[in-house]
Amino acid sequence: MQDNNKSPQKKGFDLKAITKTKGFSAFTAALLAIVLGLIFGFIVMIFANPDRAMAGFRYVIFGGLGRFGDVLYFATPIMMTGLAVGFAFKMGLFNIGASGQYTMGMFFAMYVGFMWDLPTGLHWVVAIFAGMIGGMLWGFIPGIFKAALNVNEVITSIMFNYIGMYFVDMWVQSNATMYIASKSCTNYLPSSVQIPSLGIAGSNVNFGIIFAIITAIILFIVLQKTTFGYELKATGYNKYASDYAGMKGKRNIVVTMMIAGGLAGLGGAFAILAPSAIAGSSMTYEPINIIAANGFNGIAVALLGSSNPLGIIFSATFISHIQRGGTLANLVGFKPEIIDVVIAVIIYFSAFAMIMNSTLAKFIKTRFGKKGTVLPNANSETKEAK
Amino acid sequence: MENYIVEMLNITKEFPGIIANDNITLNLKKGEVHALLGENGAGKSTLMSVLFGLYQAEKGEIRKNGEVVKINNPNDANTLGIGMVHQHFKLVEIFTALENIILGVEPNKMGFIQKSEAREKVVELSEKYGLSINPDALIEDISVGMQQRVEILKMLYRENEILIFDEPTAVLTPQEIKELLKIMRGFAEEGKSILFITHKLNEIMDVADRCTVLRKGKYIGTVNVKDTNKEELSKMMVGRDISFSVDKKPMKEGEVVLSVRNVTVPSKLHKNNAVKNVSFDVKAGEIVCLAGIDGNGQTEFVSALTGLEKMSEGSIVLCGKDITKSSIRERSVAGMSHIPEDRHKHGLVLEYSLEENLVLQRYWEPAFQNKGFIKFDEVRKYAEGLIKRFDVRSGQGPVTVVRSMSGGNQQKAIIAREIDKKHEILVAVQPTRGLDVGAIEYIHKQLVERRDAGKGVLLVSLELDEVMNVSDRILVMYEGEIVGELDPKTTTVQELGLYMSGAKRNTVKETNHAG
Amino acid sequence: MDTVFYLIQNMLPVAVPLLLVALGGMFSERSGVINIALEGIMLFGAFFGALFVYSIQSSGINPQVILLLGMVVAAVAGFVYSLLLSFASVTMKADQTITGTSLNMMIPAAVLLFSKMFFNSDGITTNVGFFIRKIPVLGDIPVLGQLFFQKTYLTVIIGFILLIITVIIFYKTKFGLRLRACGEHPQAADSVGINVYFMRYAGVSLSGILGGIGGFFYSVGILDGNISGHTGVAGFGFLALAVMIFGQWKPMKILFAALFFAFLRTLAYSIALIPFLNDLGINQTYYKMLPYVATMVVLAFTSKKSRAPKAEGIPYDKAKR
Repeated sequence: MQDNNKSPQKKGFDLKAITKTKGFSAFTAALLAIVLGLIFGFIVMIFANPDRAMAGFRYVIFGGLGRFGDVLYFATPIMMTGLAVGFAFKMGLFNIGASGQYTMGMFFAMYVGFMWDLPTGLHWVVAIFAGMIGGMLWGFIPGIFKAALNVNEVITSIMFNYIGMYFVDMWVQSNATMYIASKSCTNYLPSSVQIPSLGIAGSNVNFGIIFAIITAIILFIVLQKTTFGYELKATGYNKYASDYAGMKGKRNIVVTMMIAGGLAGLGGAFAILAPSAIAGSSMTYEPINIIAANGFNGIAVALLGSSNPLGIIFSATFISHIQRGGTLANLVGFKPEIIDVVIAVIIYFSAFAMIMNSTLAKFIKTRFGKKGTVLPNANSETKEAK
Repeated sequence: MENYIVEMLNITKEFPGIIANDNITLNLKKGEVHALLGENGAGKSTLMSVLFGLYQAEKGEIRKNGEVVKINNPNDANTLGIGMVHQHFKLVEIFTALENIILGVEPNKMGFIQKSEAREKVVELSEKYGLSINPDALIEDISVGMQQRVEILKMLYRENEILIFDEPTAVLTPQEIKELLKIMRGFAEEGKSILFITHKLNEIMDVADRCTVLRKGKYIGTVNVKDTNKEELSKMMVGRDISFSVDKKPMKEGEVVLSVRNVTVPSKLHKNNAVKNVSFDVKAGEIVCLAGIDGNGQTEFVSALTGLEKMSEGSIVLCGKDITKSSIRERSVAGMSHIPEDRHKHGLVLEYSLEENLVLQRYWEPAFQNKGFIKFDEVRKYAEGLIKRFDVRSGQGPVTVVRSMSGGNQQKAIIAREIDKKHEILVAVQPTRGLDVGAIEYIHKQLVERRDAGKGVLLVSLELDEVMNVSDRILVMYEGEIVGELDPKTTTVQELGLYMSGAKRNTVKETNHAG
Repeated sequence: MDTVFYLIQNMLPVAVPLLLVALGGMFSERSGVINIALEGIMLFGAFFGALFVYSIQSSGINPQVILLLGMVVAAVAGFVYSLLLSFASVTMKADQTITGTSLNMMIPAAVLLFSKMFFNSDGITTNVGFFIRKIPVLGDIPVLGQLFFQKTYLTVIIGFILLIITVIIFYKTKFGLRLRACGEHPQAADSVGINVYFMRYAGVSLSGILGGIGGFFYSVGILDGNISGHTGVAGFGFLALAVMIFGQWKPMKILFAALFFAFLRTLAYSIALIPFLNDLGINQTYYKMLPYVATMVVLAFTSKKSRAPKAEGIPYDKAKR
């Protein structure tokens, strides 16, 4: 999309030019994947309960609109993990370890929350930064493994999801201040460490979402405006050319994974430090040896947003929206897990949506269009009109 | 009418932007060794790929024993008894020689491979034709020569009667070449028909019965080898007329800018060194051309020179500074510009815009960034300047995505970038590859302009015309060594061809006389 | 000595799922397709296996027969599910890692959804006793009988039989030879007339079958025939990938890698029974982490010289020869 804005000849609304940009075809591809995912979900609903399928599906699609505060609240952590995955993607790294980084960040934030006594107004800020550092640490390790030992980051980060989760569960359980064994979950965090609420009635939405959006904008600027972003994208697009241009590939791998980890860590901090709508309580964590789902939802968010930070703001909101819808569909007897299935289907189709998209476009063009039109994302070298 | 086993009649094969084969006819007699001669890009490999079913021709037909046949894939070719030894072997490295030979035609009982049966047949074949191999050795452990023998046995095992050899001698030692030619002769005497792609004239004279010559995708002629000589073949291959000449002022020789000493680079393809003990100097104000046939170590040498790969021995001095161990960026800063061989792999980030590509070597300089933020206004201004000066044409100017530009303009962008950056030596590797005449002329002009501006130019080229017209001094590289130093003013294309094909060599004189 | 018997008797039912799933991964990767979806395939197989067991558990059929039938059901389920991966990665030439990840995410959610809808729980609970106290005759062999044929599951024996079949298919048949060629040098395979797409479908399908069986055996040997969408197969699919890498994509080495990982895990869950380790007073969680940490250590040391199938992860495109 940004390619379009930079164009020198802005002659108003040129539909043809827009449909040929990469941003546009990424958008239509995402749309195609979403539509297919939702159709799949609808089919499952019809299969489960034909009478109520329509009502349930309406909840999924529109239900979130009435609870926009909640949508934003739940969008916050997955926006961060989405950024963590998407940012690494830009460099050609698949950071499937957002889950462990998220959990680690959450623990670091919790630790500061429980164990450090800081003045209100400072406490939550420090806790957020602690979360970021926790996540960075957990991104740094796979980065080093990749850069120094050339171990595939996918396996490493999966292993570190488990290692991180076990560590955190152990640390939580062995800390009497944090953990209430009888409830098998953490104690309530002091209010000084809770992120200030945005004050939308009946929802937990807080400044976290603002920070997440600001982070996305900063990342967008880093990617678009800085030499680091320039190197990062160049490496992701063409590793050989980046070597040829003298960029330091290994250092950039480690830095990128650290930043990605930090982003996921912030997601964990935002999730646990959120204020509760019920006075005197807070978010809690249950150490039950399960790796965090928000890390994996980040993959869906990143893919749908085609790894563009601004796109991720919208895709996170969308995923959160249908998740809320899924929860509401419970009212007519559908289980919210249906949304997780839908999200997985969306990722599945996203993986080849671009190909489907261009096949579809080719089909439409050869069927209905004139000869000789150039496809939006044809890979072949096309000569420019002189 | 002669009795041909294979007739390829009026074959035309086009690729986007280029006609690789333009109405080519080739007839193969039973029991002959038929050489296919031509420069790089003449269309030899394309023609053979059409015969082997890897490509389908747009026009023309193929006949086997007089009957029209359709060859849609290698299976069809195999059924017709056509086998091919590819230039880059198609062998599974972690398999044994035997496994590679039987792959696809495994003798089996209910799916279980009968290895001993296969081994007997392979051993028998290898003894009969003197193709000694170790059937149980892994491909990755054996020499290139033996790998080639495995490829040949693959064809024999399938009882192919038409054998295509695509530049088979490029990777062999002189002894192995002699052996191979003898074996090919033996096949022909036994009634098999051989198609032999090469540009080494000595080999043709030694082994071939007839020779078909291609030039720039066109059919030039077919001659009986015993009625011709090397000079005539060379003339046919290169063409008498030189299509264009380059205006050059007399050379003004300056100081030595690049000094290469005893550079040795290991090969990634085989166990020998790809570059052996190469030494030479390039002075300011001269164009030195590293000429040679593809695959004689030029690529590996340039990788070591520019820092993309490590060399095992030797030293490189640029403007008095030892850059043997310097990083790519340090070499660039020290004054090396590099127009890479593969513009899509190394030279450009195709997804980036033209302006982003134009600063690929310089984005980090204070002129283009401030505290890590790229000054896009400066980049735009700079790009617009370069685009104008170098006449880089594109759909939307600086913001055009480079992937959408034509090859010629992509190359112009690289040249603009590398020439405008501060440099003392310009390393240009096949800068005109795959370009049309207009773009070639333009690029040659730019190289000469660099020379006249007092820079050193190292041109690596496979094109004889280019070598003869552009350079001030020619170094011929053959099998990783520099086998000759020639003056383009006093030498002929034919002579150069002899050096390039290994038929002649002289020792390079030490170039210490600069001062 | 009792401790040793105990450890080995407990290790084998853990090793077998790892072994089978890693062998599945081997088939897939040696044909050229990275199969990160093994975790999902395992759970899918385990779920359908358990569902089948649940549906006939009251029929009075011999538990070992139920196990065999459940295995077939799990194999079919794994095969069907793996087709989604082959379709995306071979036919559509999509990114194999992303596709695999989506398949991994889909199954836990689908299992939870189904179980909540029809069983009002997180998974399926069965009550068939698959455990074997002692196999007649074989169990009476001194020492060996006690190690391998007492206090065990039928899965162990089936696992070793499948290993032998795998070795034979992989190394002795033309199918195995062709499959391995496709993962190393698909262009070479194509040039001798092998259908690379078909062989890759076959490789992924075999990994689906073995992955499904492995998942069901996990449920039988480790979870006592139950399965939950919540805990799933606890990363065993990913561990199997590590086992496969550690085993250098070769069946016999994979066996030893699987035994090694299974030993670590069994140790981790039996600390309380081993006096001298228990006395060390190390938090049990460290032992639980052991397989994952060991994976990292192993990968760090083997990655430089490890030799993945050359063409794995790269969609084969006939047009780009």
